[in-house]
Amino acid sequence: MSQPVMVAGTIPVPALEPDSRWTYLDNVRRNTGPYTSEEFDTSDEAVSTMDRLKVLGAGGLGCELLKDLALSGFKDIHVIDMDTIDVSNLNRQFLFRHSDVGKSKAEVAARFVEKRVKGVSITPHNCKIQDKDEDFYMQFNIVICGLDSIEARRWMNSTLINLADPENPESYKPLIDGGTEDCQIAGLSTQLGFKGQSRVVFPTITSCLECQLDMHAPRQAVPLCTLATIPRQPEHCIEWAHIIAWEQEQPFPKLDNDDPEHITWLYKKALARAEEFKISGVTYSLTQGVVKNIIPAIASTNAIIAASCCNEAFKIATQTNPSLGFEENYMMYSGNDSIYTYTFKHEKKDDCPVCGQLARDLEVDPNFTLQEFIESLAERAEAQLKKPSIRAESHTLYMQSPVSLEEMTRPNLKKKIGELVGNGDEIAITDPSLGTVNFKYKLKFFKEYRAAV
Amino acid sequence: MLKIWNMKQKQQSDANADAAAGNKKKKVTAAQLRVQKDLSELELPRTMKTIFKDPDDVLNFELTIEPDEGMYKGGQFHFTFEISQEFPHQAPKVLCKEKIYHPNIDLQGKVCLNILREDWKPVLNIQAVIVGLQFLFLEPNASDPLNKEAAEDLRSNREGFKRNVRQSMGGGIVRNEAFDKVFKTRD
Amino acid sequence: MTAVITDQAPPILKGPSDKEKKYDRQLRLWAASGQQALEDAHILLLNSGAGTVGVETLKNLVLPGIGKFTIADNATVKHADLGVNFFLDEDCLGKPRSECCVKLLQELNPDVKGDWFPREKGESLESLFGHGHNFTLIMYSLPIEAESLALVQKYAEKNQVPLLSIHSAGFYSYFRIHLPGTFPIVDTHPESTATTDLRLLTPWPELSKFAADVTADIENQSAHEHGHIPYVALLLHYLGKWKDIHGSLPSTYKEKTAFRDTVSAGARRDNPEGGEENFDEATAAVLKTISAPSLASSVKEVFDYKPSEVEASSSFWVITDAIKQFYGKHNALPLPGSVPDMKAQSTIYVQLQNIYKAKARRDISEVLEIVRAHPSGKDVEVAEIETFSKNAAFIKLIRGIDSTPPSIQTIASQEFENDKTAELTMMPLSLLPIYLSLNATSHLPSASSSDILATVGKDVLGASDNQRLVEAAEEVARAKGGELHNISALTGGMVAQEVIKIITKQYIPIDNTCVFDGIISRAQVLRI
Repeated sequence: MSQPVMVAGTIPVPALEPDSRWTYLDNVRRNTGPYTSEEFDTSDEAVSTMDRLKVLGAGGLGCELLKDLALSGFKDIHVIDMDTIDVSNLNRQFLFRHSDVGKSKAEVAARFVEKRVKGVSITPHNCKIQDKDEDFYMQFNIVICGLDSIEARRWMNSTLINLADPENPESYKPLIDGGTEDCQIAGLSTQLGFKGQSRVVFPTITSCLECQLDMHAPRQAVPLCTLATIPRQPEHCIEWAHIIAWEQEQPFPKLDNDDPEHITWLYKKALARAEEFKISGVTYSLTQGVVKNIIPAIASTNAIIAASCCNEAFKIATQTNPSLGFEENYMMYSGNDSIYTYTFKHEKKDDCPVCGQLARDLEVDPNFTLQEFIESLAERAEAQLKKPSIRAESHTLYMQSPVSLEEMTRPNLKKKIGELVGNGDEIAITDPSLGTVNFKYKLKFFKEYRAAV
Repeated sequence: MLKIWNMKQKQQSDANADAAAGNKKKKVTAAQLRVQKDLSELELPRTMKTIFKDPDDVLNFELTIEPDEGMYKGGQFHFTFEISQEFPHQAPKVLCKEKIYHPNIDLQGKVCLNILREDWKPVLNIQAVIVGLQFLFLEPNASDPLNKEAAEDLRSNREGFKRNVRQSMGGGIVRNEAFDKVFKTRD
Repeated sequence: MTAVITDQAPPILKGPSDKEKKYDRQLRLWAASGQQALEDAHILLLNSGAGTVGVETLKNLVLPGIGKFTIADNATVKHADLGVNFFLDEDCLGKPRSECCVKLLQELNPDVKGDWFPREKGESLESLFGHGHNFTLIMYSLPIEAESLALVQKYAEKNQVPLLSIHSAGFYSYFRIHLPGTFPIVDTHPESTATTDLRLLTPWPELSKFAADVTADIENQSAHEHGHIPYVALLLHYLGKWKDIHGSLPSTYKEKTAFRDTVSAGARRDNPEGGEENFDEATAAVLKTISAPSLASSVKEVFDYKPSEVEASSSFWVITDAIKQFYGKHNALPLPGSVPDMKAQSTIYVQLQNIYKAKARRDISEVLEIVRAHPSGKDVEVAEIETFSKNAAFIKLIRGIDSTPPSIQTIASQEFENDKTAELTMMPLSLLPIYLSLNATSHLPSASSSDILATVGKDVLGASDNQRLVEAAEEVARAKGGELHNISALTGGMVAQEVIKIITKQYIPIDNTCVFDGIISRAQVLRI
């Protein structure tokens, strides 16, 4: 290593001054750099806007996110997590102690960080992300999630994209997503633990999580018949116990993956089956891993991914440097073999069912019958639909097929639009002639609806 | 704070897209939308029909199969389809409601069909699953069974297997197991 | 006293211990052996500067249960610390930073011991190193006083301890690993898809017999039998037929694809499925498994390396020597012995597994014999020889720092040359400018961009004319030596992963410098 030769003295210890807590943040907030944009503002006023920003952190990376956000200068942080603390969380979720096992993650984490970092407010929400409505999500400026299921990710993604309203600048919420449980690098998806990814979505502007769904590796499944008749691997024996033997014998009313008694039952079953077929390798740990689909997780990987997400949030909030988003929007990290990052632009998909076709406004007379409405659709230039099927969020309005659904929804054809949906509701239209594309309309009544007497 | 909206404005003026306004209401989910598309493109032969308990809930329905040829001719079989919000990333869950004697369907109704498990891909649709189910009744497969006894019978003694199928379909006992009566009752 | 004899449940049916429960998610990565190595380790952090990146690293080592850590730090806690370091609070103001961080870090895991230095004001670093501590690994954060650096380097050199330097400032960071001599790794955890080694071109008698048995009278086998012949046997069967016709085994790509067609043509298609799964598997495996074994370049590097006299007596080099002899004799490495899952009946598959396992055992005992014949081979443990033999195709050697490393100028010229064609090759631009700019402030709390460029210019010609270097220097100057928490947390995560890899001797650590750019969110590994 070539050591730089400099006129080096000793490193002075700066004097104690009361207002210097955010000295290091201010170095970048109050000074322009070579990559800052023209809009970057170093004034007191600009710096203090950060005090008013509200950010939301959700999911398994919660502990890291709260720490990183609080020390990024965010003052109003919310956290949402429905889970309670389990002993197996303690090797990485560092705000939790043994005495906290069983308590709400959101509440314990919020209290801890609020106490540690003076001047920050952290509001816990001990519930599912799906329990909150659009008004709740509307209050935030940035949403960061480290959710562990595809379903929850998709939900958050479509919720934030649906918030985006071109007439309301505040409705565009950057979504930053981090995960360590299912990333693929060049098609290889095995050996998780030292890997993860973070990505930034600007709703309706850049590729969304739905556009990127194919980046998630589906869980490998073994044919049921292999489990039933020709097991060869210890995993086959465990899956057999889990899927087939449990249901046949029903040793307990309902399988609880967290109940050691239940896991032990499965383990013994699997072990007996393995002995019968002379298969070796069934252990308690493997049983638990297969049944709960356990993915290895360590503190350092969580730290990398959460900090990467919060770094992007900080750059978006302060504009101290360009963030991921408009161009490159996806960072993959792998630490198994040396360190490898791959940062790239995932392209938005035009036929994405969530962000590809946003609802357009459609002026409609609520006194039209559904039949008249469908006929009018056929005349619209962009649609020219031949056999449209239509649904509202909780309502199937009309299905051309299959026969049973057609019969059940046929009476709707005679009903008036105003009877079936409300002003401002969204409808989705599919039609075999459209291929993978579909249409969404937001209905706007231009006349008053007169209910039939 | 980065002004994403400005970017949107720019993008929109480029694309000359329509603006939208008004109250935000609940939206159709991606899974619902995809199921609607799959369903509206279904082409069912005479031997099959779908039953929706609640037409508003397209994610849960029942499929009836009434084979008009093969060993299971004359029977009426009901399958429940349970589709999650992860569809089409995850395959639909399909269960046979009756307890039947079939090498590829176990006594709990679980179905061994590759595209319902290991070979499921998001490009597959509900039609593909239904075709697969129909196929199971025309060509029960003895080589990788879920119901080992039934498979052994099919392999070793096809005629005996046929008799067992008919016996079981009438609600009879085969190899000490009582089966559900599935012969179609005249309407 | 009467001894009460209770029926002890067999140990295999016992659930996990409390420790296994707590560490479950990481034991699945590095197993009990890796955990033990962590618990036996004592890590020293020499902390300085803004002081966060090292503490964030320690957090990620305390949580998984490192045995002991010590923080040496002369600083007292000031307000600026509270805005960047999570392991300090209001009560710490004015107190020694080392002690405060240790106490708050220790809360994370009661199994971990923590210590700090100096215990008394004015104690010099020399006394820490003189205390007879056995540090497993030492990290220091930059900027550091040159005098302290010299001390720690001397200690690491003398005690052959891995040394890690970490520098985080503003949106940039880098860290560098200085390993004492060569660092061999046996347990590299290759991707499972890479580990299949079936030896189809050189079957041994038991395997050939097995294949012949299960493919006997293949034309007349029942549908069930035919559809369940494991693909290993199918391929051996068709290879035999191919050899009968062509006189040799398929070797060129063209021959292999032609061979693939022959295999595929063997499938029965007059069944309801219109094909057979085992034949599909066989067809898919042709190109991957029908090839002569070749030695990976990383293994060749191990074989070619000439260990020093001291190194040569270590078990790794004794076993390497044995494996090398084995390879020389058989033109193949010892068989790993694992068989991938494939369509087959349970009993047949288990039979096949046992044939591979038996051959692997024979290979291991041959290696064992060679090891025992080595002058230093008497005490090498059998378990180590087994693990080594199974992983032989994936062993890896990380070299230490060269005695005459390439000059910074050479590296810079290479990197900047690559950058010229970056657009064409679609490679990201080099992050070397970031390393150079940070490295220029290794002993200074902060510096202006022109100072930085002047320092870099001493090693790299035309530094101040290089646009990307100028920008990197400006960005480093902008940070004024301050750390950003996110960048230090991220870097602390990366460094902790590397420390775990080094201590457990599992997975593959970087060689030897990793630079992170938090502006474009990208890392690059450079050998400097």
